[in-house]
Amino acid sequence: MDADTALPSRAPTATTNEPASSRRPLSLAARAAIATGFVLAGFLGLVGLTLSQANKERALSALHDRLQNFAIAYITNTDVSRYGKLLWPDTVPDPSFSRPGSGLYAVARGDHGYHWESSSAVGRDFSFLKPLEPGQSQFVGPVDTRMGRLYYYSYGVALDAPDKKSVRLTVTVAQTEDQFEGANAVFRRTLVIWLSILGVMLIALQLLLLRWSLTPLRKVASDMSRVERGDSEHLDSQYPLELTGLTERINAFIENEREQRQRYRHTLADLAHSLKTPLAVIRSQLESTVAGESSLRNGVLDQVRRMDELVAYQLSRAATSGRQTFASAVPIAGHAEDLVQSLEKVHAAKNVLCEFDIEDGAVFYGEQGDLLELLGNLLENAFKWSRHRVLLVVKTQRQPGWRRPGLWLSVEDDGPGIEPDKIERILQRGVRGDERVQGHGIGLSIVQDIVHAYQAELVVDRSPELGGARFSVMWAPA
Amino acid sequence: MRILLVEDEAPLRETLAARLKRDGFAVDAAQDGEEGIYLGREVPFDLAIIDLGLPKMSGMELVKALREHGQRYPILILTARGSWQDKVEGLKNGADDYLVKPFHVEELLARINALVRRASGWSKPILACGMIKLDTTAQSVTVEGKLVDLTSYEYKVLEYLMLHAGELVSKADLTEHIYQQDFDRDSNVLEVFIGRLRRKLDPEGTLKPIETVRGRGYRFAIPRTDGDDE
Repeated sequence: MDADTALPSRAPTATTNEPASSRRPLSLAARAAIATGFVLAGFLGLVGLTLSQANKERALSALHDRLQNFAIAYITNTDVSRYGKLLWPDTVPDPSFSRPGSGLYAVARGDHGYHWESSSAVGRDFSFLKPLEPGQSQFVGPVDTRMGRLYYYSYGVALDAPDKKSVRLTVTVAQTEDQFEGANAVFRRTLVIWLSILGVMLIALQLLLLRWSLTPLRKVASDMSRVERGDSEHLDSQYPLELTGLTERINAFIENEREQRQRYRHTLADLAHSLKTPLAVIRSQLESTVAGESSLRNGVLDQVRRMDELVAYQLSRAATSGRQTFASAVPIAGHAEDLVQSLEKVHAAKNVLCEFDIEDGAVFYGEQGDLLELLGNLLENAFKWSRHRVLLVVKTQRQPGWRRPGLWLSVEDDGPGIEPDKIERILQRGVRGDERVQGHGIGLSIVQDIVHAYQAELVVDRSPELGGARFSVMWAPA
Repeated sequence: MRILLVEDEAPLRETLAARLKRDGFAVDAAQDGEEGIYLGREVPFDLAIIDLGLPKMSGMELVKALREHGQRYPILILTARGSWQDKVEGLKNGADDYLVKPFHVEELLARINALVRRASGWSKPILACGMIKLDTTAQSVTVEGKLVDLTSYEYKVLEYLMLHAGELVSKADLTEHIYQQDFDRDSNVLEVFIGRLRRKLDPEGTLKPIETVRGRGYRFAIPRTDGDDE
């Protein structure tokens, strides 16, 4: 086809389909992800804090035990000489006590200025230590000293001297905080790493679960758009229990809408029959029994014609359902063939050749009756005016971002065509293009009404190929 | 030309039947589908006019049933709704043409003539056999260009014979297709018509258009001309 038959294009911009994103409430997935994110962060944080606190307490208690053990070891190894002199231990419970600056110190102070310290503590100031009464013990820390922050354990004892006098002694074992905190920091770091990994894994798992549990909702949405596109009659998948209430009601609604339309059409058909049969009686009686050209006869016949046209036009108008959300997709090719076969049968004497150019899978979104009226009237018109050839072209235009493809439908003939200045008059409702051909005006008016109801566009011009009139109906993608 | 008219609306049925008879057709009228199917199967019609909105059996079913029963005569359907769905379905089921109510009686007559003509293989409205030309639209007959004055029954007999030009048409066929049911078939009225037709068409006795096949019937002896399709 020629370039001027290209479909009107419309860029898929965010319009009615896509409300402005700033106003759209958060998606269910985002809500759940944010909520879980907060809960997880709070939960894991608390777990981390608790674990780290528990570990610190356990470590402190272990430190207490260790320092106590060192202190007791020193005390056990300390003796009093015959003269009441303290004899300092010659072994160390831990090699760190002999290494200067190791961070592990032992200090002992007794009565009469007795004073001893481990090799590691030589030259360090432990003046802040207070002597304790025998039997008293003390675990303190961390305290700020010149050596840095320290934990220490002091134990007061009274050692019995041979002269029955007892010697009071306070043994203190201290450890710098660095050593203690070093182990703690390792634990905290490990904890944070593992908790973070756990958190990320849980969030990922949560998102997967969410996806899985929201699958039925997405299925409903895609099924709905299938129904809208007309690929499906109703929501026909299996849905989870929670959604069946919703889907069954939607199905009932769709069904109800279809039934209503069906009933409406039946009523209209009955109405047409009951209105037109009396008109047919009047006309046939006047035309066959009243002889001659009386003015009464002609006047009544004229009014009958007007009533007939009004009834035909208004009924067809009322029957046109127009663009619908839940329209079924009517395949065009089959119906077009039926129509052309019918018209070829009726116009057999004229020997009209009707050619098709119908794109595979082209569908009309709407009522089958409306498609038949639209195509039927256009084709009948073409058959009436053509000399020998009629051409029917149906094309679709698929555009990403739109549910329904655009549709171009044109009927051309090789007849005399329509003068440009007459086109507008022909398109005026109720005006007959040519009074001689029965039903011409009504047919086009019906076509125009259907085109209008389906928000399509009707263009009348000259057929570039056949030279006669061309009627084109166009739908933009929707 | 014998026509079956199936229409439930009595005034319309009676008016149409009267008008068709006046135009020289033999008409059998039925008021519902069941009566229609009975007549349609029993009587050798040349055409049937069937309203789609019939009681008992719809016009659509009637058309289908007649075709299934093997009736080949043309069927014209009358529809009040005039929807394409009805028209297409009717034509698919075997009808040959449709008219939307309320129609002009003249339009109906024109369609009837065209259908009958087409059914006999004539595509043009003027049946031409040699010098004899029969205009189905104007219902006039000319011989060598001169108009022949015929009564409507004479015209119908000639039309029937010319539609079936070259074929043997029995007397029974002719009476059945031309006359009303109540017509006395044993009378020699038919022979009188044929005799008058011969005199009017061929006063000199040179063309001999209508042949008598002894004991069997008549045959229109002049072959079709005018480049028609058969």
